[in-house]
Amino acid sequence: MTPVIMYSCRASDKLRNTLAVATAAITFILTLSLYRFVVGGGEIQLTLFEVLPNLEISMRLDLLSFCLAALASFIWLLCTIYSIDYMAKEHACGRYYPVLIFTLGSCQGIFFAGDLFSLFVFFELMSLIAYILVIHEETEEALKAGYKYLVMTIIGGLALFFGMIIVFELGGTVSLGVGVILHETSLLALLAFICFLIGFGMKAGMFPLHVWLPDAHPVAPSPASALLSGVMLKTGAYGLIRVIFHVFSPEMLQAAGWNNILAVLAVITILLGSAVALTQTDIKRRLAYSSISQLGYVLLGLSILNNNAITGAVFHIFSHAFMKSILFLAAGAIIWKTGLRVIADLKGIGRQMPVTMGCFSVAALAMIGIPPLNGFLSKWTLAMGALDAQMPLYVLVLLVSSLLNALYYLPIVIPAFFEMPGDNNHDHHDDHELEFNVQEATPRMLTVMIILALFTFIFGLTPNNIAFSLARATAEFLLLGGAF
Amino acid sequence: MGFTVHFPVLIVVVMFFTAFISPLLYRWARKLAAPAVLSALVAALVMAAALLIQVQQTGTYYYHMGGWPPPWGIEFKADPLRLYILLVVISVSLWIFIYALRDLGHELKTRVIGWYYTLYSVLVGSMAGIVLTNDLFNLFVLMEICAISACAIISIKEDRECLEASFKYLILSAMGTGCFLLGVVMLYMATGYLNYGYLYQALVEAFNFYPLNIFTAAALFIVAFGTKAALFPLHVWLPDAHASAPSPSSAMLSGLVIKIYAFALFLMFYEVFPRVVLEAIPLSEIVLWLAALGSMFGSIYAMLQTDLKKMLAYSSIGQIAYIFMGIGFHHSLALVGGFYHIMVHAVTKAMLFMVAGVIIYSTGVRKIDQLAGIGRVLPVTMVAFTIGSASMVGIPGTGGLISKWYLALSALEIGRPIFVLVILASSLLNAIYYMPIVINAFMHQDEFKKEVKPVPPVMQFCMVVGMVFIIIFGFFSKPVVTLLEQAAALFF
Repeated sequence: MTPVIMYSCRASDKLRNTLAVATAAITFILTLSLYRFVVGGGEIQLTLFEVLPNLEISMRLDLLSFCLAALASFIWLLCTIYSIDYMAKEHACGRYYPVLIFTLGSCQGIFFAGDLFSLFVFFELMSLIAYILVIHEETEEALKAGYKYLVMTIIGGLALFFGMIIVFELGGTVSLGVGVILHETSLLALLAFICFLIGFGMKAGMFPLHVWLPDAHPVAPSPASALLSGVMLKTGAYGLIRVIFHVFSPEMLQAAGWNNILAVLAVITILLGSAVALTQTDIKRRLAYSSISQLGYVLLGLSILNNNAITGAVFHIFSHAFMKSILFLAAGAIIWKTGLRVIADLKGIGRQMPVTMGCFSVAALAMIGIPPLNGFLSKWTLAMGALDAQMPLYVLVLLVSSLLNALYYLPIVIPAFFEMPGDNNHDHHDDHELEFNVQEATPRMLTVMIILALFTFIFGLTPNNIAFSLARATAEFLLLGGAF
Repeated sequence: MGFTVHFPVLIVVVMFFTAFISPLLYRWARKLAAPAVLSALVAALVMAAALLIQVQQTGTYYYHMGGWPPPWGIEFKADPLRLYILLVVISVSLWIFIYALRDLGHELKTRVIGWYYTLYSVLVGSMAGIVLTNDLFNLFVLMEICAISACAIISIKEDRECLEASFKYLILSAMGTGCFLLGVVMLYMATGYLNYGYLYQALVEAFNFYPLNIFTAAALFIVAFGTKAALFPLHVWLPDAHASAPSPSSAMLSGLVIKIYAFALFLMFYEVFPRVVLEAIPLSEIVLWLAALGSMFGSIYAMLQTDLKKMLAYSSIGQIAYIFMGIGFHHSLALVGGFYHIMVHAVTKAMLFMVAGVIIYSTGVRKIDQLAGIGRVLPVTMVAFTIGSASMVGIPGTGGLISKWYLALSALEIGRPIFVLVILASSLLNAIYYMPIVINAFMHQDEFKKEVKPVPPVMQFCMVVGMVFIIIFGFFSKPVVTLLEQAAALFF
């Protein structure tokens, strides 16, 4: 019910900023209002109408969808608030806001979809609409990145379509509410699994399908990059979770060994993403590559398929959403204020924009996995999961990639605070005193970043916070056979 | 039954009658000519709808012209499938005609518009006849009428290009009809019948005596209908013909006329040739592979085009291939997909040609690379184009997805996932040539330079109707699909 209302209020949206924020807020509140219901173990499966016999648009609400929908709408709310100032300088706001809100709508649609077909419909809708966010700048570079994004999206969509057809053919239904659809392994089922892997993995930036991501994310306006990286990538992971637990079953995948495909790709994704991030000179590109490797963690967690690992994966969806949005928003604030994008130019920026860089540092540290930030907790849980599965190798992978994270984030953070601006932008920096020449972003942007940074603290400080226990509950719920 | 029994023939007669009076009206009472054609189309639509309801209640029935029963009399057959196609044909024609009212004056000389109405009505009438008839000779006659009127609505524009294209079309089409006639003769010689039902029964036995004749006939039919429906590699006439014609004609030809022939081929395969014959020669297989090739090559050629209407025409070759695939799979789900695609593609392609027509009308641009930034000056038009191309690609929420869904599903049912890949690959190719146009239209930095005439509201209305229907087909397809499933079940 609620998702339906939410969706309709989205579709009729008009363009004014306040209205956009209000819609995002309403969405968030409505989603939150489902909390009691969901935690009590409730589920809704609601059929809207049948498109074809046995093929309908339906809505579904359970713990997993609630988690992601709440997360998405929260980040969205903050990013919309942030956008108000950020976009004030930009053109074509009349296009930007409706698209932003529409994407939120389809994103919620993905999370609340009751069957693969509606999931697919909303997934495509979101991906295609997000194209407009990607190419917002309309520069040559943006258009090129956008085209790559579009082609990849369509390939992914077709792969999903293929996978879905196979599932429908083999199982006679694509509903997520009937439990496991495919029980037996066969060549077609493997094909379907691979198709889903391509379709959703594409979105999640999985190697070797990540090529669109580092181009597309940096060229979008910063709040949009935050959303693309922070939330929309997660829809791919979400789709994979649904496929693994509701179409196939974990036991079956393990028996057939198909989860190893995912695991290998995830490991490559993690290491490759971090390694390439090292070589980037543009701050947003570096962040984008970092997203690739972080999503690798989620996929790795999924491929291990035990309680701790799934908890870690779901929790990492949370923590990465927070961390990466801070990073992109902070980068956005810097670009907005100073126009600097190249990392080497950011020396001393911490003195100019201490709060922004403060938040950036918190998030960067969280990325590296320094306790007591949330990144630590997710890595810890993932590592526990890996050990439970007798896979110490994965722990090593996690550690190596943390090291790489440190290698590429710290060189941004440390010079930002402790080195002098190398350029002649500022004339009064001759002495080595800490001299603050504060030229911050607007309070609204700062508030958003501070709120997010606080959350990384809160979620990391203790393993008993809401997000973590939700993640834990979700993992149990999924492993207990999911749909029932 | 009452008066409805006569509806099958009345539909055809009404259209032909309108054809005769419209030039007269145009001459003496110019204001009445267009309303006359319109009301004839509406009347035909109402009759077709009434027939469909009737047939759904009482089942298939046969209409004997003049009360003469077959095998000598002329027979019309009214079953759900034919009536569905008929309904699509008539409603799309009505829609295109409303659009044509405004567009024709711009592309044609005033003098010939009355004749255009005639040709248009003849074309619609003959298509309705082809759909309804249950008799090979009758089919032949109506095909000739259809071919000639189709050529004429191309050449009516009277410029060099159109004449050349329609001449090419005429020759190839005549070859097609020639092949068809030869095939009919073979079958007649072997069985002595022309009526579908009688042939179906007689051929089982005749196959033992005259296998070669029947093979040849089948081969000739594939060539005949393949040429007319632009099945790859017999498509060579289509791009020129469809691209150079006035836009309403292109919409009509690409949207409906080629599909009628595909439907006729379907009737040959399912109502004339019995299973024995089809099992003895891999006819479906041939059609299937040609269709697979067509869906690829149509898209690849389309990519190379610089002229918008040429591109749309090549895209039709790719799309008609889906319909042939639906026929070739020999599975009821595939039929549902193929026939659903007849409707979806009729609406989509007609709308895209309307869009092309509006662009030509208001800016005079035909080249794809000159369309940059046009979305800002013609927003409704380009949104229509976007939705149309989304449906071509098969983006969820549009009708194109549903037909692909069924085709892919049936490919899996018969255990040939390779065709799913073909379908997906050709969708991807579609995306590759449609998307850049959309992107350029909306996202290009430069302003559109050419002068822009305002788009008449009638044209905009027609495009909006098209968009709405494409989306309805994507979401609320259940009633049509159920109807088609019932209809297809009759053949298995």
